[in-house]
Amino acid sequence: MSPAAVTVDRLEKTLGKNKVLRGISLEANAGEIFGLLGPNGAGKTTTLRVICTLLAPESGAVKVLGFDTRSAPEEVRRRVGVVTADIGVYPRLSARENITYFAQLSGVPDGEVNQRVDGVIDRLGMASFANQRADSLSSGQKQKVAIGRAIVHDPEVLMFDEPTSNLDVLASREIREFMVESRGRGRCVIFSTHVLHDAERLCDRVTILHEGSVVATGSTSEVRGAHRDLEDAFLELVL
Amino acid sequence: MSPLLIVFKKEMLEIVRDRRTLIAIGLAALATPLIMTVISQLATKTATQTYTVGYSGEIPVGLDVLLRATGLKLERVADPAAAAKQQVDLGVVFQAAQIDEYYDPTRQGAQIADTRLQTVLGRYEAAKAEAALRERGVDPGVLHPLPVTVHPLSSPVKAAGNAFLSFFLPYILITMVLTGGLSAALDSSAGERERKTLESLLLTPAPRSRILLGKILAIGAISLVAAVAAIGSMLLALTQIALPGEGGSSHISLTPLAAGVMVWLAILLAGTFSSLTLTLGTLAKNFRQGQAYATPLYFITIFPASIILFIPDFNPNLAYYLIPILNAVLVLRDAIVHNTVAWPALGVTSASLVVAGVACWFAALRLFTREALLVRS
Repeated sequence: MSPAAVTVDRLEKTLGKNKVLRGISLEANAGEIFGLLGPNGAGKTTTLRVICTLLAPESGAVKVLGFDTRSAPEEVRRRVGVVTADIGVYPRLSARENITYFAQLSGVPDGEVNQRVDGVIDRLGMASFANQRADSLSSGQKQKVAIGRAIVHDPEVLMFDEPTSNLDVLASREIREFMVESRGRGRCVIFSTHVLHDAERLCDRVTILHEGSVVATGSTSEVRGAHRDLEDAFLELVL
Repeated sequence: MSPLLIVFKKEMLEIVRDRRTLIAIGLAALATPLIMTVISQLATKTATQTYTVGYSGEIPVGLDVLLRATGLKLERVADPAAAAKQQVDLGVVFQAAQIDEYYDPTRQGAQIADTRLQTVLGRYEAAKAEAALRERGVDPGVLHPLPVTVHPLSSPVKAAGNAFLSFFLPYILITMVLTGGLSAALDSSAGERERKTLESLLLTPAPRSRILLGKILAIGAISLVAAVAAIGSMLLALTQIALPGEGGSSHISLTPLAAGVMVWLAILLAGTFSSLTLTLGTLAKNFRQGQAYATPLYFITIFPASIILFIPDFNPNLAYYLIPILNAVLVLRDAIVHNTVAWPALGVTSASLVVAGVACWFAALRLFTREALLVRS
């Protein structure tokens, strides 16, 4: 069995006076969609932020494709792409310019930048608004820009933190389809959500967090167990 | 391409597309000549204006001619003391052996009229004394046992012009370097948090120090553009405007030395202010909060320039040149007024501004790499 793309080992983290993570461990592999589930405040976003090096682990260890987030944060960032619910884009740049900026900062060679950006625009179906300023785009179009900038450097690990929470039905479906497509390309996709219906449809394996601790982990069917669906299983675990 | 250049190019592109910054620079470039024109017209008006002297009693023979020639209009009034409060600029009671003058020092017109009256009376008394001595066969030269011949080392009119520049130029330079890049600095720091692009930016493998430096360079560049636009338009306006002074009017111009010193100081100030405003912007959660943090900076620009206005001959020791901003004002004043540069003072000033800029840069970098930056946002 190939080593896990992302390994979190007994991770602890305190933010201010709150102990947000209490020794969580998990593994996510290449070619799967791994669900990080839990109610608001469970520690999902903090876990993702530690994995992508925005926050440092207080104790425990996090490795991405063998690189430790503490000792090799820049190597980790080269291999990770993150899409969040907060669709922040540079309003005075066009969609194409937004993605180009992140391609350059992510270390895509100068000679390949245009080709990579064109490829992303094509893959996400952004051609009709690629040259429009971002302040004139719809939420769904902005989310595509956010995805584009997260994948333009072709990261091996993709993390989605509540990516559909501000989107309409159509845009949400496109995001879900994109995650499935990425899994098909052999990427490790980590999907953080509190929408258990989405998780059940998409995820190969899930970990459920509650108050900073792992309360269940395994394949989706294992965690669901004898319950009618994942939601019932989840409620039994956290209540 | 290095991350520094990538960030610089992107920030410049955003600045050029930001109407707020462009309008601010354009307004500054237009407003400065306008202010110069108004000042020039007011100065000309003050120099040529006639002031009214309300008097009673009999005016000594010949004095009325002298008064009128000096721009003092005579008007007979019943009570000169009462009239001097509002009706006229000065009140004068001519008596046989003395003159009583009444004026309100809080009124600028009264002050100018008083100065003119004293000058005229001085000349009148001297003329009367000389005539009396001649009548008695005495050489009037006895009144001046030590005659003084004044040899100004530079044109008094030009000196007045330089004094004018020595206040306005540092003030406009510092104000424009600060305000020209302020909007860009806040947009580039607090704005990143407000529109939630900061997290994505910090997720790139680009070193944060390079990202920050790219931002500072862009803010510094636009600050310089703003300062050059404002000062350039001011100097252009001054070539068309004559400022009145004793002995005539003159055009004010900047010597090449003063221009060179000004450009050097503008570069240093732009670097320091860019780092400082970016630090303040990084502390803020949004653009509006950043503006609130930056407001006290305006006092920093006004205070040092005011020292030159109120203490024109302020000649401090070298230690004063360690104080950022004040040192720039002092060096620029010396270059404009005396057309000289005290190299030790310029050296201390440059070192002080560089150290201040680097300190601010480190502060900004420290803030930029703190987890609290993301957690708070």
